[in-house]
Amino acid sequence: MAVGIMGLVAAVLRLRGTGGTPPQSGGWRELSGPDLR
Amino acid sequence: MRVAVLGAGAVGSRSARQLASTPGVAALTVADPRATLVASVVASLGAIATAVSAAEIDLAGHDVVILAGPGKHHRDQAERALEAGASVVSCTDELGPTRALLALDDEARVRGRTVAVGAGFAPGLSDLLAAHAGRLFDEVHEVHVARAGTGGPSCARAHHAGLRGLALDWRDGAWVNRQGGSGRELAWFPDPVAGQDCYRASVPDALLLAPAFPGVLRATSRVAATRRDRLSAPLPMLRQPHPEGLIGAIRVEVRGRIGQSFETVVYGAVDRPGVAAGAVAAVIAVEIGSGRLTRSGAAGLAVLCPDPLPLLLELADRGIRGATFEGSG
Repeated sequence: MAVGIMGLVAAVLRLRGTGGTPPQSGGWRELSGPDLR
Repeated sequence: MRVAVLGAGAVGSRSARQLASTPGVAALTVADPRATLVASVVASLGAIATAVSAAEIDLAGHDVVILAGPGKHHRDQAERALEAGASVVSCTDELGPTRALLALDDEARVRGRTVAVGAGFAPGLSDLLAAHAGRLFDEVHEVHVARAGTGGPSCARAHHAGLRGLALDWRDGAWVNRQGGSGRELAWFPDPVAGQDCYRASVPDALLLAPAFPGVLRATSRVAATRRDRLSAPLPMLRQPHPEGLIGAIRVEVRGRIGQSFETVVYGAVDRPGVAAGAVAAVIAVEIGSGRLTRSGAAGLAVLCPDPLPLLLELADRGIRGATFEGSG
């Protein structure tokens, strides 16, 4: 019973996870000009 | 050149459409077990294209064969194509078929033919972007690929299976197996896909990229997945996948030394995966068929095309454009 509950908690934690940190600055721009030489 | 496209689904039909409007393609044969589907695809392509039953196709006389059907058939189809004297462009994004195709390296070299493996969105465009980024570096230390979204049903099934399979990472000069669905990382893709949680999966990107960067310490790949994707991964797919997925994205992060400093370059792209994969496969097929890509053997695009700039420019002309991330992460 205890092992089962621990397994369930572990599975929930694994599914939820902690995510990550989004970029703090900057952004995407299309490759052009000097990028394509 | 004469090109055969095996598979008329989300990727194959787009690839055939790209080829039909490409100068230098004299004839196009499209084959698929679904007779009605292949007939409708060919009807939209004009007189250049011919519909053939998948069981009856004769590959003799074709310069290049594009494999755009389920990956489990690609090895057999590639062998038939090589025997018929054709080069091969495979759109597979599955690890097993990729390994099987790479094992054809010796046969392809002996025959003087090319087997381009993983010519899709990722692997595919991701390899070209990685190779392009790699040219900025004096030494490449790490290459990390992430992708979000799926193309047709075969791609969706591969994504589902990949989360329960074993992932393959290149770490410190050796291949390491990790459990699919592990290793959560938040990857920031070009808008509108933006931030997605990505996980290890049984995908072939690292296997195709590591040989292109001698001395690379780490090559990894991850796929975006939801909690439902991960929860249901051990089960069979409970319903038919959509005919085609929505917008997808790729992200390629290359780290290494430029001069005396250690730098990171991040490239990406956003598109419908089936559309981008079809364009990449078509461009590679034309590159081989026109004689501009002459390297024989079986390999990924980063190995076959160490200078991918002309291909990226050609893809940009066809509406498949890369992007770069500038900022701090």
